[in-house]
Amino acid sequence: MLRYLIQRLLLAIPVMLGVLLIGFLLMQVVPTDPATVRAGPSATAEVVAEIRRDLGLDQPLTTQFGLYLWRLAQGDLGVSIINNVPVVQELGATIGPTLELMLSSLVWSIPLGILLGTLGAYYRGSLIDRGVMAISVAGVSVPVFFLGLILIWFVGFKWQWLPFTGRGGPLWTLEGLQSIALPAITLGGVFVGPVARMTRTAVLDVLSADHVRTARAKGLSERLVVLRHALRNAMVPVVTLIGLQIGFLLGGAVVTETVFTWPGVGRLAVGAITSSDFPMAQGTIIVLSLGFIIVNLIVDMLYAALDPRMRAA
Amino acid sequence: MKKLLAGAMLALAAALPAGDALAQAAPRNTLVVLREIDADNYDPIRSTARGAGEVVYMMSDTLVSLDWDMRTVRPGLAERWEISPDGKTYTFHLRRDVTFCDGRPMTAQDVAYSIMRWVDPANRSPVRWRAGPVREVRAIDDHTVEYELTEPFGELLYQLTLFFASIVDRSTVERLGQNFGSQGFNGTGPYCWVSWTPRQEMVLQRHPNYTWGPPIYQNRSPQVDRVIWRVIPEANTRLAALQTGQGDVTQYIPNIAIQQLRNVPTIRMTRQENYFWDYFMGFKVDKPVVSDPAVRRAINLAVNRAAIVQAVWFGNASPATAYLNPNTAGYSEEAARLVPQFDPAAARRVLDEAGWRVGPDGVRVKDGQRASFLLYGLQTTESRQFTEAIQADLRRVGIEMRIQLWDATVGWGRLATQEFDAFVMSYPYISATDGFALYFDSRNRPTPNRMNWSDPRTDAALNTAKTALDAATRQAAIAEAQRIIAENNVWLPIARENLWLAASQRTEGVRAHGIYGVGLYKGLDIRLTR
Repeated sequence: MLRYLIQRLLLAIPVMLGVLLIGFLLMQVVPTDPATVRAGPSATAEVVAEIRRDLGLDQPLTTQFGLYLWRLAQGDLGVSIINNVPVVQELGATIGPTLELMLSSLVWSIPLGILLGTLGAYYRGSLIDRGVMAISVAGVSVPVFFLGLILIWFVGFKWQWLPFTGRGGPLWTLEGLQSIALPAITLGGVFVGPVARMTRTAVLDVLSADHVRTARAKGLSERLVVLRHALRNAMVPVVTLIGLQIGFLLGGAVVTETVFTWPGVGRLAVGAITSSDFPMAQGTIIVLSLGFIIVNLIVDMLYAALDPRMRAA
Repeated sequence: MKKLLAGAMLALAAALPAGDALAQAAPRNTLVVLREIDADNYDPIRSTARGAGEVVYMMSDTLVSLDWDMRTVRPGLAERWEISPDGKTYTFHLRRDVTFCDGRPMTAQDVAYSIMRWVDPANRSPVRWRAGPVREVRAIDDHTVEYELTEPFGELLYQLTLFFASIVDRSTVERLGQNFGSQGFNGTGPYCWVSWTPRQEMVLQRHPNYTWGPPIYQNRSPQVDRVIWRVIPEANTRLAALQTGQGDVTQYIPNIAIQQLRNVPTIRMTRQENYFWDYFMGFKVDKPVVSDPAVRRAINLAVNRAAIVQAVWFGNASPATAYLNPNTAGYSEEAARLVPQFDPAAARRVLDEAGWRVGPDGVRVKDGQRASFLLYGLQTTESRQFTEAIQADLRRVGIEMRIQLWDATVGWGRLATQEFDAFVMSYPYISATDGFALYFDSRNRPTPNRMNWSDPRTDAALNTAKTALDAATRQAAIAEAQRIIAENNVWLPIARENLWLAASQRTEGVRAHGIYGVGLYKGLDIRLTR
């Protein structure tokens, strides 16, 4: 188990380096020039050249990337070229709200998805099953921004039940809980569908397996059969899917954070990209990729926990 | 789909009365201003963003202020001023009761420092030219400043109303260095810096001693304890927030929503007639096809500005029938009459007479050259729509316009190149000379004179408009510049944007100002009823 874990951790290093290089190159490929953005439309060419020099953008690419890696190795992600704030400081302030939002989305959507999927599989072909399938198809097809706008419109605007602009405070306060409700429902809402579908398929598969028949033949109660024998075995593909979906959730967080003005990394990324703030954009890319890598690592470990064959391998 | 949804939401939003806010309402005596985008920083000399101006005008003051008519200069930190007979020295007599937010009295030394900091090349202000040809700005005594120029600059007082000329505290600037305006600020404005969370919100606190607001306000002191500038990038969220009391005022209203908001009983809408923010198309006069004056004239004749304004801005803009807003200082009626108005038949005639014959594909040809040109612009909802409308109008007279719009992060760089034949953009100006001297002076090629317009007569007229001592001579010169540009059809003026402010029910005293596109200016008359 420990060897497996170390192996996985070591594998994450080249992945991270690749992400850094691609992140850096992507910002170079985009034909954008932060100096002209910063100088504004009425600036003369001379002023733009001055600013470009100040930002070090007149240096060769390799020099820029080398310098970037060197600083990164020292834990220095650079300083925003827009407002001079250290990138680490802004990331530090935005990671919390993003984690908060993702956890609040997952904490209700995963159990609900698994519950719906199991019900659908157990009552296969019934009205319940069709209801579950309808919900999951809707969940899979509705874009995040659409769900967000619909919720803002009804819950926030028409009925005025919940706020929808920004973060009201920490999660343990009433304002904090109120303000996270709509973003968490939005982001989690698109998660329920895929989880329910995958759970349903996997549970169906397992319910017809030999060991389940054996369990029933032994006279176990249906609850035990489903929970202990079917669901646990069905979890491996579901966990895979959840791991993959969390990656998409990071993308969804960017949209959700923008619609609900949530002060997270996603919004920071959008702001940094639209203002050509290279160091900040690279910082957000690092954080989001790191998030993805960590989630995958956790999923790998969960496999090992769920499936003893993985540990042996 | 997204647009349809937005339209439907807004229509519904307008139809429904806002109930009592159970949701998070704006706090008492705190004005929450909603906006679309944050500024890069709040150092007056470093940022050219409208978003910076919005906040800097509240945190600091300028020597002189601008009236609602956008042409009368009023006292600010200077209660009066004199101009020397040679037009090179301005003597400003400062108020004696002004203090910075930290309580320190403001003196002439602060004024001299702030202006010299602005013009110092080492500080890299992209707008330092606006301060004029400064020789030196010096303090004569604690309350008198001499602003000395190397040559007269008739625009100076207008330029000094802009937020770039804000007076700041030297010790705070030196203490914060590059972080001045991003980690702190110390000005003499009606509100003081509390905190800034970039891309989220800026919090300001009332300046307790402030009594020296511009005389254009009924109140010379702020009426609200706190101001929060909150960024909500998504238009639907922003307008819903305004209507549910999560915000109090905004100028960032999609055109599609203006008429609907005007019908919402709980929203107060105000409009500034004298708002100088125009859209235009500029031609690179040294490029094939558009270098032909006949083509440029035909384009001006072929485009139906009134229809475009109706379709794209839903009537909430005015067709730009001239190069400048008629209410602008220095506007020339005579030059405005030279701008061709919509007449497609005349456009065809002009092209025929110039030898452009209709080819087999409907596009005109002359000497083997097709009447086709490439247009660059920034990607916005408006620019996409109006360029397509113009494209259709031009096609009808046999001119092909190829459109290439860029994202804003890329666009300004592209617009600095020579890759294109024409471009569209919008810009704020404060006077005729301000706008023209920036865009048509041959020394400003390749940017912001992206047309490569180089004409000694224009340069001479602009120079006289800036430097002549006598107002009548300056007026005649700027009129001459407008006449030359209009005769040569260097631009296609398209539309003049309107400035609207939407305010919640509890917000009174909101009046749209619009200097440099900034809606609230000092906002001194704004008060909250609950």
